[in-house]
Amino acid sequence: MLTRADLAKYPFLAEASEYVRELGFSIDDIASPEFTPVLDRATSRLEEALSKGRVSSPATDDERTEILSFPVSNLILSLTGEERAKRRFALAEAKRAYELLRQETPEKLQHIATGTFHWTLRRVDLQLGQRVYDFALALPDYLRNATSLREPKWKLPNRVLDHGFVYTARDETARLLEEEVAGRIVNRSARLPGRPPKLLQPRVEQTRGLISKWLGTPQTFELPKVPVPEAMPPCVRHVIEQLDEAKNVPHMGRFALAAFLLNIGADQEEIVRLFTTKWNTSED
Amino acid sequence: MDPTSQTIQQQFQRYYLEPARRITGPQSMANREFGFLLFKEKFMVRHRSFRTNEQLLGAIRDLVPAHVYFSTARYKEPTATMEEKGWEGADLVFDIDADHLDTECKPTHDNWKCKGCGNVGRGSAPKICPSCKNDRFEEQTWLCEKCLRQAKEETEKLLDIVISDFGVDPSNLRIFFSGHRGYHVHVNSKDLSGLDEEERKEIVDYVLGLGLETKLQGLNQTSSGGVTTVEGPMMGEPGWRGRIVTGIYDLLSEGVENLQLGSAQTQAFKEWNREALFTKPFWNSVRGAGLGTWQALALKAVQKKSSRIDTVVTTDIHRLIRLPGTLNGHTGLLAVEVQSERLDDFDPFTESTVFAGSMKVHVKEAPSFRLGTVHLGPFHDESVTLPAAAAMLLLCKRRAEPAT
Ligand SMILES: [Zn+2]
Ligand SMILES: [Zn+2]
Repeated sequence: MLTRADLAKYPFLAEASEYVRELGFSIDDIASPEFTPVLDRATSRLEEALSKGRVSSPATDDERTEILSFPVSNLILSLTGEERAKRRFALAEAKRAYELLRQETPEKLQHIATGTFHWTLRRVDLQLGQRVYDFALALPDYLRNATSLREPKWKLPNRVLDHGFVYTARDETARLLEEEVAGRIVNRSARLPGRPPKLLQPRVEQTRGLISKWLGTPQTFELPKVPVPEAMPPCVRHVIEQLDEAKNVPHMGRFALAAFLLNIGADQEEIVRLFTTKWNTSED
Repeated sequence: MDPTSQTIQQQFQRYYLEPARRITGPQSMANREFGFLLFKEKFMVRHRSFRTNEQLLGAIRDLVPAHVYFSTARYKEPTATMEEKGWEGADLVFDIDADHLDTECKPTHDNWKCKGCGNVGRGSAPKICPSCKNDRFEEQTWLCEKCLRQAKEETEKLLDIVISDFGVDPSNLRIFFSGHRGYHVHVNSKDLSGLDEEERKEIVDYVLGLGLETKLQGLNQTSSGGVTTVEGPMMGEPGWRGRIVTGIYDLLSEGVENLQLGSAQTQAFKEWNREALFTKPFWNSVRGAGLGTWQALALKAVQKKSSRIDTVVTTDIHRLIRLPGTLNGHTGLLAVEVQSERLDDFDPFTESTVFAGSMKVHVKEAPSFRLGTVHLGPFHDESVTLPAAAAMLLLCKRRAEPAT
């Protein structure tokens, strides 16, 4: 259903995370010269988001760079520990996605909404008066995303509600997806384990500079929301502990992988499964 | 504890101690918090949990509370402090209470007294006292047949919205008479139990029709070639669209005179065959009625078809709500489940009375009322021997004191 070009447009999708995982990167790759375009694009995403509140889609056919740069942006941003910058970045990326989503076919919108976001979304072909509806969206999915929208047309009493489903037009569906996308990016940014990989440090510092340039100096410094080791799956904890003890262990790359996975929004179960097969660590 | 409370508690105790007594806890009982409001000093015992119906009944028999509540929420640790309970979702609950209804009979049976200046009035208490701007009142209310009938109608309108619009399967719905002035509707739906307070507020607004703009429900006008055409929803369309049309039909059926239209329009609507509402686009078929008139009618239709639910009960995701099968300390009546197909026939004044025998009480003041098939009162400063259920009602309502 989704092409690699789609993943470049929507790098927050579950399929994009899967694609990144299959590439199997380690920290050494980040250091290599061929990774520089990814880091540059990651930085430009951040710079544009922080300065303009938008991210533009480049006219590039380097889809791999486009896809990979997104989790790297996220990682860098998480390492700055600046919550307000995370929100701004998420909103900017979501806005970029909306501009693209509203042009997609109903089939693709439905695929994205039901796949990555687990919406219950049905295709309909319905006209009521002058209004044409393309979708029927389950009430809880509608409410989760519409309550933050202030225009009267999003208020539930102004919708057509039919047996648990809210009718939406294509553009409205894309707009609601924008909210969901922003939420997903904010939440994923919050899941960062352990210590910053040293090689990203210059980019992190650069981003900190951008943040204070565009968002000013924060009143209080916000600590990154790092999960306490006890709350992590033991396998992830194990990797991080090894990393703590010896900086040059080959597990270094594994750590980067774990960071990546958590950062791109893979859930803990998925990671546990992955690490269990690699190290055969049990879950308790 | 005062003698009235003592008498009430003794009667409650006898009721709960009957060997055949059974109490059925809610679904997922072990994950609910229970609360008991005691007669003594109106003390609230909270954060209790029970695994079985027997344990629950045991606690009720020990405490003999005036009111028994359970949480609409399910918790990982229902006995922990609020912060540590671990919220796992809450039933969607609606409360319809005569307190929130504007019934015409209220001035005849309710009254209030300002706690600030002693000012008194009839009907529901105002938001603030007209003479001293205080907002605290002593209120005396009565359960009245008309008020409860109105509450039942509101419940029926609510059920229509909950089933047709929210898509709740009737098997996931339970309706309860509260034992006092209203009805509760509990929705047990996995899909809706995770809604947060803001999302539940939208549900409330939908049921109340609050913030509804008729234009956004399709009532609008277009102009082309100098001709203005009104367009709007049709009978049978889903949600508020169809409901607006049936509401207008109901309003017209009840009498065009009450609609506060101009005399020419009133005449035009009288001559108009309202059955047109069922068939064709009708928005341009009443002489002299343009968009403005239809908008006003549509808003009245929304008022008519909305259900006057309590906002706070539905939006509060940590709410404690009355447990069915327990006695209501405000009345001595039982909170009982009402099967939805029987709602129309349900008589709260018959089906929730439990106390048999007779009791002697001294009644200060009470209007005439009915319990079961017996009509009683009015009473004024007199000692009377009454059916126990009636005596208990007067005691609980603080209209009477025990007499020997
Ligand atoms: Zn006053
Ligand atoms: Zn009344």
